[in-house]
Amino acid sequence: MQKSTQITEKSKTKMRYIPNTEKQKEEMLKEIGVSSMGELLKDIPSSVRIKGKLNLPEALSEEELKEKFYTISKKNLDFFSYKPLVGAGAYRHTVPEAVKAIVSREEFYTSYTPYQPEISQGNLQSMFEYQTHISRLTGMEVVVPSIYDGASATAEAVLMALRITHKNKIIVSQLLHPHYKETVGTYTEPHKTEIIQLPYGNGLANIEKLESLADDDTACVVIQSPNFLGGIEDVKQISEIAHKKGALVVQVVAESMSLGLLKFPAEMDVDIVAGEAQSFGMELNFGGPFNGYIASKMKFIRQIPGRMAGETTDKNGKRGFVMTFRAREQDIRREKATSNICSNHALNIVVSNAYLSLMGKVGLRKIAEYNVKAAHYLYDKLLESGKFKSISYPFFNEFMLYAHNESKIEKALIDNKFIPPLRLSTFYPELEGYMLFSVTEIFTKENLDFIANLLGGQMK
Amino acid sequence: MGYKVIEGLYYSKDDEWAKIEGDVATIGITDYAQDKLGDIVYLEEIEKGKKVKAGETLTTIESVKAASDIFSPMSGEVIEINEEAIKEPSIINKDSYGKGWIAKIKVENFDELKNLMDAKKYTDYRKE
Amino acid sequence: MKTIYEKSVKNRTGYSLPKDYFSEENISNIIPGYAFSSKEKELPEVSEVDVIRHFTKLSKLNYGVDDGLYPLGSCTMKYNPKINEKLANLDNFIYAHPFAAEDYVQGSLQIMYELEKALKEITGMVRFTMMPAAGAHGELTGVLIIKKYFEDKGKPRHKMLIPDSAHGTNPASSAMAGFKAIEVKSDERGGVNINELEKLMDEDTAGLMLTNPNTVGLFDENIEKITEIVHSKGGFLYYDGANLNALLGIVRPGDAGFDVVHLNLHKTFSTPHGGGGPGAGVIGVKEELEEFLPSPIVGFDNKRYFFEDPKKSIGRVRAFYANFPVILKAYAWILSLGADGLRNAAETSIINANYVLAKLKKYYKPAYDRTCMHECVLTGREYKEYGVKTLDIAKRLMDYGFHPPTIYFPHFEPYAEETIMIEPTESESKETLNQFIEAMIKIAQEAKTQPEILNEAPHNTPVGRLDEVAAVRNPKLTFKGQLWSLKKLKQQ
Repeated sequence: MQKSTQITEKSKTKMRYIPNTEKQKEEMLKEIGVSSMGELLKDIPSSVRIKGKLNLPEALSEEELKEKFYTISKKNLDFFSYKPLVGAGAYRHTVPEAVKAIVSREEFYTSYTPYQPEISQGNLQSMFEYQTHISRLTGMEVVVPSIYDGASATAEAVLMALRITHKNKIIVSQLLHPHYKETVGTYTEPHKTEIIQLPYGNGLANIEKLESLADDDTACVVIQSPNFLGGIEDVKQISEIAHKKGALVVQVVAESMSLGLLKFPAEMDVDIVAGEAQSFGMELNFGGPFNGYIASKMKFIRQIPGRMAGETTDKNGKRGFVMTFRAREQDIRREKATSNICSNHALNIVVSNAYLSLMGKVGLRKIAEYNVKAAHYLYDKLLESGKFKSISYPFFNEFMLYAHNESKIEKALIDNKFIPPLRLSTFYPELEGYMLFSVTEIFTKENLDFIANLLGGQMK
Repeated sequence: MGYKVIEGLYYSKDDEWAKIEGDVATIGITDYAQDKLGDIVYLEEIEKGKKVKAGETLTTIESVKAASDIFSPMSGEVIEINEEAIKEPSIINKDSYGKGWIAKIKVENFDELKNLMDAKKYTDYRKE
Repeated sequence: MKTIYEKSVKNRTGYSLPKDYFSEENISNIIPGYAFSSKEKELPEVSEVDVIRHFTKLSKLNYGVDDGLYPLGSCTMKYNPKINEKLANLDNFIYAHPFAAEDYVQGSLQIMYELEKALKEITGMVRFTMMPAAGAHGELTGVLIIKKYFEDKGKPRHKMLIPDSAHGTNPASSAMAGFKAIEVKSDERGGVNINELEKLMDEDTAGLMLTNPNTVGLFDENIEKITEIVHSKGGFLYYDGANLNALLGIVRPGDAGFDVVHLNLHKTFSTPHGGGGPGAGVIGVKEELEEFLPSPIVGFDNKRYFFEDPKKSIGRVRAFYANFPVILKAYAWILSLGADGLRNAAETSIINANYVLAKLKKYYKPAYDRTCMHECVLTGREYKEYGVKTLDIAKRLMDYGFHPPTIYFPHFEPYAEETIMIEPTESESKETLNQFIEAMIKIAQEAKTQPEILNEAPHNTPVGRLDEVAAVRNPKLTFKGQLWSLKKLKQQ
């Protein structure tokens, strides 16, 4: 810390975000009835006060600030021009400019949690509409539109299943996103929950093994589909086995774009869906903010964490929306709440609501189809080249291939402005040499031909 | 404050009442409690045969702005549940000593009545 | 206003897709039958124009900080600088993939590292994690760190002390982390009851979660004693940073004995609340707890920034590193103010709150009749006899064009009942505060003379008071009701 100066001297700096002038502050102190700022701080013992002043850089002007951040941003890659062949829980899809225009409205981004519904109908109706979108994509009746992200939504879904079943053992697919798995571990650690791994083979969960692993003490089976390798699981079969043992099924959807093309999780008899909606209009932003959701059945509503909106009427019979089923929450129930969560990423709800409204019934399906076609196109081309080997399994927009030389591939791709796929050995030592490719609608056929030639042909 | 208190019932500090008939105690919440909670929207189901100790949670009740546990004023086994109140919890607001009862338990230990208040004591308790 | 579903017209489109030059192979041959949906999902069909108009209209039903005073106590609804929005939206940041190699994200890492450095100076802590997505998420992270510390020592502790004035998230977070939450009463001065604290603090208690200034807007004058009691039994003092705005440049929680702090970057550090999120609830700790932080954290070797894993990490609390744009905006705000500016913000927020208190205490009895820090807590008790609830007072404020303060929180007997918690922040000018004060005084008069106006308020808002009871008794959580999806399923 720097050397001390007199307390009130420091507030004499002018700052454009602080309207009151020094003169006004003096007047106000007088009207409050104190002689000085110091008198308002008298409760603070001197022993805990800062003796000098904080050692921070001098305040920057707006122009200086801009320059500093522009300069720092240049130390990142020019990410717009580098299309990622990596997904693994973070997908670059096209975000319509209309979505960005909508969320840059101050009424959305400078408002707070809708505690006063009369002047928050915009956010509340947006939550309600988005709940409807997710309900119509998952087939579930109840939707919590915002948990921090897919990983924490998965962890909350597991805690919910523990509460519903009063059991303390869970079976988790090894093809659950490794970061989600770790988050589930962190959240369940205090409850000493027994976590059993469901092994995989050929790109999919080993369903036969589930028969022997699930028993009467199992609270839930956590299955991601499409799984971490992009594989499309037979969730219905998993549900049948789990339900026979009285366990719930939590389906994790890390790539929600898949819901545009795949059956409703409800149709697969899933009990709780824990999803990540980043693909619905959110930029990558180095991994956050994303937005998780939980969708479930009406009968579990009182065990659901987080905030949701419901329709009602005002005193004149006019339709309006409120936060509802609030008695589950921390501000009412404190330590007995279903969760401590009180944020809802309302701004990201607006983003995904606008995105899904724009894409609509046909558009979302078409994008999902494009993703499947494009991913399979690249997969086929790379295999044809003879430079890659594969294990065959049904996949959505991600697939793994065995590459002979990961670093060479990475270099070739970066040199040609593509972010390389993920090395699967980062998380699965047994998959040494395998890379996880992700292909979305940001890749044109031309791009894919180029990549296929680059990796399959010219590269030695 | 003008809350209804009924003679002949036993009252707990947590605002539950018990009515004794033979070895069965009917349990509910007091007029004061229903008023404090406001519009009741939910009464959690109770398992028949559940054994509770005096002072333990019997079930949970919810209004829009509050949720609270209902503690059993006496120990015993739950033999009947007011299905009507579970279906239509607002009857607890309307008639907390009558149609809005919560559950009936088979009393284990009548000595526990000593720990409860009579109507007069409870009236004074809630006046404070 | 109509929902987007009520605006849907068959075959209308709002999307623009890349050209599909791939072969006409039938998708149903690629996707296995057990998973393939033969039909499109029933989303609305609307054009881009429809969507823009719909959301613009929705936005106008909201009230934001840019619309006016938003004195929501404990939420620190300060101005959100526009330049920060711009900087957070630079292409190189928004398109950065979290799995891109460290060498390609040196800029993003630098921002995380430099914000951490600034926060360490501001709070007196040793190391931060940027991971938690919100205040409550930070709390959970913080108490899990404390829990793990004791387990690592082989002496697990099972209780956490929490004052009755604390936010509901404190006991809820403690419960999630497996602690039994024990309430500590407030004393007649508004602080932690020291005698009770002394009785409750034992060697099975992991610590005390304290908001300071607390939720009644008072700095706990016994902070030294509190620290001593908690530390003497080997416990940790947790700082709930909800109210740090009052202390910027005046007190560093680390110097005051706090061992773990969470900061709400969306409160104190000016990043937008976004209607409830995304924010960020970063966690700072002292040396003893550093190795338990969630992984990864950002390091720097004077040449290059990199991720590192704390040795005994509690693990991840989410998938990736941070709510990055929030981190960036908070740092931009700190740089715009500098040390003097931060102190100016704190002092001005304190003056503003005391000004409101001084002008209104005649009309609304304060919970504690003392000068306050950055927020003041008044009560609406005296208007009960006129048939006016605190809620009515809050609702009436909307008719005067203001967002109401926080009401009914904090709530603890006998001091804090029917509370009205007002936090004006440094962003409000004296003129705005005068308008607010004038409205509050008028409402006080109305309460006595025309209580029915308050009972029926608000009168000028897009909707009137809504029936929250009906919303639970007859739940409608999606358009066309909860049964839509199941019916639809059966039809297929």
